[in-house]
Amino acid sequence: MSFQIPIGPQHPALKEPISLRMTVEGEVITGADIRLGYNHRGIEKLAEDKSFLQNIYLVERICGICSHSHATCFVQGVERLMELDPPKRGMYIRYLVSELERVHSHLLWLGVAGHEAGFDSFFMYTWRDREIVMDLLEMISGNRVHYAINTIGGVRRDLDEGQKARILEGVATLKKRSEYYFHIGANEPSFVARIAGVGMLTKQQVIDLCAVGPTARASGWDRDVRKEDPYAVYDELDFEVATADSCDVLGRVVVRVKELLESYKMIEQMVRRLPDGGIVVKAPRKAKPGETVSRYEAPRGENIHYIKANGSDRPERLKVRAPTLGNYPATVAMLKNGFIADIPLIFAAIDPCICCAERAVTLVSARSGEESIVRMSDLRRLALARSSNAPVKGNAVWPF
Amino acid sequence: MTDVELIERLKADLGDRVEIANPARRRLFLKIAPRDLVAVTTRLRDAFGVVFLSTISGVDNGVSFEIIYHFSTPEHDYNLRTEIPKDDPRIDSITPVIPGAILYEREIQEMFGIVVDGIPDGRRLNLPDDWPDGQYPLRKDWKHVRPVEVIPGGKS
Repeated sequence: MSFQIPIGPQHPALKEPISLRMTVEGEVITGADIRLGYNHRGIEKLAEDKSFLQNIYLVERICGICSHSHATCFVQGVERLMELDPPKRGMYIRYLVSELERVHSHLLWLGVAGHEAGFDSFFMYTWRDREIVMDLLEMISGNRVHYAINTIGGVRRDLDEGQKARILEGVATLKKRSEYYFHIGANEPSFVARIAGVGMLTKQQVIDLCAVGPTARASGWDRDVRKEDPYAVYDELDFEVATADSCDVLGRVVVRVKELLESYKMIEQMVRRLPDGGIVVKAPRKAKPGETVSRYEAPRGENIHYIKANGSDRPERLKVRAPTLGNYPATVAMLKNGFIADIPLIFAAIDPCICCAERAVTLVSARSGEESIVRMSDLRRLALARSSNAPVKGNAVWPF
Repeated sequence: MTDVELIERLKADLGDRVEIANPARRRLFLKIAPRDLVAVTTRLRDAFGVVFLSTISGVDNGVSFEIIYHFSTPEHDYNLRTEIPKDDPRIDSITPVIPGAILYEREIQEMFGIVVDGIPDGRRLNLPDDWPDGQYPLRKDWKHVRPVEVIPGGKS
């Protein structure tokens, strides 16, 4: 007999308001459905009413972890529309922040993966080390979350020699730590036993369902926008695309740690080769009518912005596709034929973004499988009725 | 393969069904008629290895809707562009050809009111279940009216 169990929109195992509806037979998931929209804010519509400059700060707030990804993707598209040629030094600083952001995002994810697998010391180690990169980002941009370092035509803050030395120092420490995590992630027997073979996604499924980022690369689909469509500085850097062939959560851990090591390599190259010169050019307020497709490799996968200009200072249309949306069809495929206990692990393995709340509870009757939505006030009324009918117990009396 | 060579091959293969523009390196914009959409997508998938769909963008041009399918391969970006009239907005579904297109087709359906023929799962994606019918937020003539805030038990 099959049951439907709802998970979310608000659930301790999920860090995002999303509703997963599982059809289960015993412990095995036979069907999965995802319901979105609990965090829909209408940013695409709002962007049509704001100027290009204002929109940088709007799109930066799409996500709290990869905020720089959206801002950079938007800005590099607008620069192409305005036919600007930003100075090299500015570009190096912009993409240096990109790689630092990837490091902080992947360290955060490693901690979450350790936590979901029940390996909490791994979680505490990675999050402690994440502070190093957060401090570096604060030193460079003045902010820990929304760096606001991009502007149209370059960046807003320069780097000095002392800052460069501190970045290299921090990265050297992180490199040593990440090699240790790589060793643990691939060798610690109980951790490997928990994550190996969980959430299988074959390469053919990746291709059919258009999965992106580390999720796709862990199934041997080696596509990375930084390599295939090198924007700004990436054709001058020496790095490799990290892949794995195990198609499971273990593969996704391995890919992300390998990407961390590649990012450290790129950060060192960018700091050492940082050219002299200005960091920003003056940008016009308006853009000529035209359109552009801007692609960017965010920590979670390909981020794509389609920007259409109509000759005014506002975009005619801004279409944003964040990588997590592209991975949802693949998640449904991964959840099918898995176990209930693996749901948080599989869902966390695509690295979804973290957000806010909802106030409804869905109750499923265990006998009939019928569902009913109950308001918080009704639950409270039921609880009060239940406690008023409860047998009254006298207070315990101390015998001496 | 350079952009010029690819354009030659595409022209030879797809004939006069497509109009190709190449505004930047590796960016191709292919303009097609809506009735050719599924045929061209299938041909691109089978003969050119175009299997990865990034997203589908809809644009409201006032009298018509422009729909752009952003595909990419490791070497090139293919942007398939088609235009449908606003008074009869219908387009064929490409989900049978590219299964990953399902979420994006559901999105253009609810945001622009475009009817996607043959979509396997036509439910709403982002909008709430009690959203009124016939309201399509990304159309240019749709304006958001903020409902009057009522504080329960507050000042009347």
